[in-house]
Amino acid sequence: MTQLLLFNVFNGLIIGAFYALMALGLSLILNLSGVINFAHGGFLAIGGYLAYTLIPYLGFWGALLVSPFLVALIGIAIERVLIRQLYGRDPLYSLLLTFGLAFMIEDGTRFIWGAQSLPYQIPSWLAAPLSSEYFFLTGYRVFMMVLVATAVLGLFLILNYTRLGLRIRAGTLDLETVSVLGVNVRVLRNLNFGLGIYLAGLAGVLAVGMLGLQPTIGDNLIMPSFIAIIVGGLGSLPGTLAGGLLIGIASGVTSVFLPSASEAVMYVMMAAVLIVRPRGLLGEEGRF
Amino acid sequence: MRRRSLLKAGAAAGLLPLTRPFVLSARAADTIKIGLDNPLTGTFAALGKNELVGAQLAVEQINAKNGILGRQVELLVEDSTSGDTATAVQKALKLIERDQVNFLIGNINSALAQAIANTSNQKGVFHIVPGGHTDSVTGTQCHWNVFRVCNTTRMETNSVSKLLLDSYGKKWYFITTDYAFGHSLQQGFEASLKTASGTELGADFTPLGTSDFSANLIKAQSTNPDAIILLLAGDDMINCLKQAVQFGLNKKFHIAGAQQELEVNEGLPPEALFGDWVFEWYWKQPGVPHVEEFVADIRKRNSGKVPTARTWFGYAAMWTCKLAAEKAQSLEPIKMAKAMQGLVLPPEVALMPNDPYYRIGDNQLMPTLFVGQSQPAPAGGDPEDLFKVSQLVKGDQAALPVDQTGCKMEWPS
Repeated sequence: MTQLLLFNVFNGLIIGAFYALMALGLSLILNLSGVINFAHGGFLAIGGYLAYTLIPYLGFWGALLVSPFLVALIGIAIERVLIRQLYGRDPLYSLLLTFGLAFMIEDGTRFIWGAQSLPYQIPSWLAAPLSSEYFFLTGYRVFMMVLVATAVLGLFLILNYTRLGLRIRAGTLDLETVSVLGVNVRVLRNLNFGLGIYLAGLAGVLAVGMLGLQPTIGDNLIMPSFIAIIVGGLGSLPGTLAGGLLIGIASGVTSVFLPSASEAVMYVMMAAVLIVRPRGLLGEEGRF
Repeated sequence: MRRRSLLKAGAAAGLLPLTRPFVLSARAADTIKIGLDNPLTGTFAALGKNELVGAQLAVEQINAKNGILGRQVELLVEDSTSGDTATAVQKALKLIERDQVNFLIGNINSALAQAIANTSNQKGVFHIVPGGHTDSVTGTQCHWNVFRVCNTTRMETNSVSKLLLDSYGKKWYFITTDYAFGHSLQQGFEASLKTASGTELGADFTPLGTSDFSANLIKAQSTNPDAIILLLAGDDMINCLKQAVQFGLNKKFHIAGAQQELEVNEGLPPEALFGDWVFEWYWKQPGVPHVEEFVADIRKRNSGKVPTARTWFGYAAMWTCKLAAEKAQSLEPIKMAKAMQGLVLPPEVALMPNDPYYRIGDNQLMPTLFVGQSQPAPAGGDPEDLFKVSQLVKGDQAALPVDQTGCKMEWPS
């Protein structure tokens, strides 16, 4: 039993890292622009489909590199055309917009690539366990963990050591003052949105290695991402990361005892955090 | 404010299925209306689309053959969603009360099929369930007006369980989708295990739409079973099989199940095409009359893709309406339902061996089941030839006798 629990804790960390990747993208956009991006799962799906389409031309690695950038470009365009119009209004406006956008993306992918799942193949050396005892540590999962860790590290470096990151962080605290100081807030929001969507695209490319590639692929991943943000604390990227990892582990451990509750346990955690510590584990008090 | 908005967003997600669009085909006066209440979005969208394609072909053929009782047929299509019972029932009521359809067809999801069946019974509308498998539809909750094309889950498990028990052993671990379909499949296999004095090492119920099965697979592996039985559907099956292959479990244990679908196999990479399963219809049936024409017709209207069991379900359901009405020489539901008792599908509709028929007493079609193994497409062969049929099982040999189904048919006076 102890071994089974440990296996599931490690496994939960792997899944949690994936939730965290999605949640970080959501959190970036929410923190700076106040947009609750319900279409985040749709962008994830686009990432997967673009990778599937590009593989015959660029190979697995080429598609892995290029697809998230293409998704980010689509995100930047959508921000400029649609989402920008709603800044400054009640957040429910942008919520409704992205809610509709999620449907449009889902039906769009269904129209272009069909409703049926598509077979996405990863290199055979990645699709195998690294040892027979720790069989759940597959090459692909380790690769995914490394990539997620690299992406998270890259994000923290950007936010802490670049001018863009400094402005994003400052804007998160007080966008008006940042604007008064001469920063072009429209461009800042646009680039920040693109960065968040890049993470969704990357999550999509990684997800299709393990999951079926179909238009609703993002639907089941979007709620854990929202929960990760709430559990970790709104406004805190480290909190989001911790939230993702925690719900992944909780879900994995619950599967040992009560598999049918493996999803429900995430909601229970969210409810508990909202009751006991409404700002989330690492969120700042009074911020939201 | 933002946290509240985020919570509101979560609540909005719950309302998402209600906002799905509906599709309405062109109408004409004095036509016979058939309502199709099936998923066009969500997990079962691909299956729903294929049932729709089959139904559309049948409507075209029926209309070319003087319609039903001399009247042209029009198909009204509603998106039931893949898992929202309230929406599916609401759409069924809309089709019955506002559009005044003569017949109703639906649903793929077992729970939705049962809910729609209960509604159609209250309204006294002739109803065909094309692809919802849970036993209760023609079992404990059977209705005089409700007929089913696809197999019961018990028929599926009975058709393959002997092969699994004889070939792979009697210690099984189940990973089962947590709704009516999965539950009744597992009950069927448990009954087979009990008869064979086998052992159930464990069973995980997973919510419909589960993405990650790694924890369940880790648990299954720890019990060292003879076979891991996957009782999943649609994208859940794809996710689980892909992850099982990456864990190398297919090399350590036998992985099998009951129902498998071509739509699922087409979404799997070649290395994940393995295991023993039941197909309810297969497009490659050399020597069976009319199958080649059907395959060619579907290829023409479906971007060159072959028909699946789902396509045949939609096709057979639509033709059943015509056969029932013309045998009864009436559109009255009771007369049609009486005419359906023992009705044999003609070869151009049956498209399988052994003359499938609607059984008297529970309204369940007794088709042929195709037991076999998933396979990667043969080199140089058709890329959609992803299943090898090894055994044909007659429906009435796999089904429980009517008196054991729990069906107590009550006819209106």
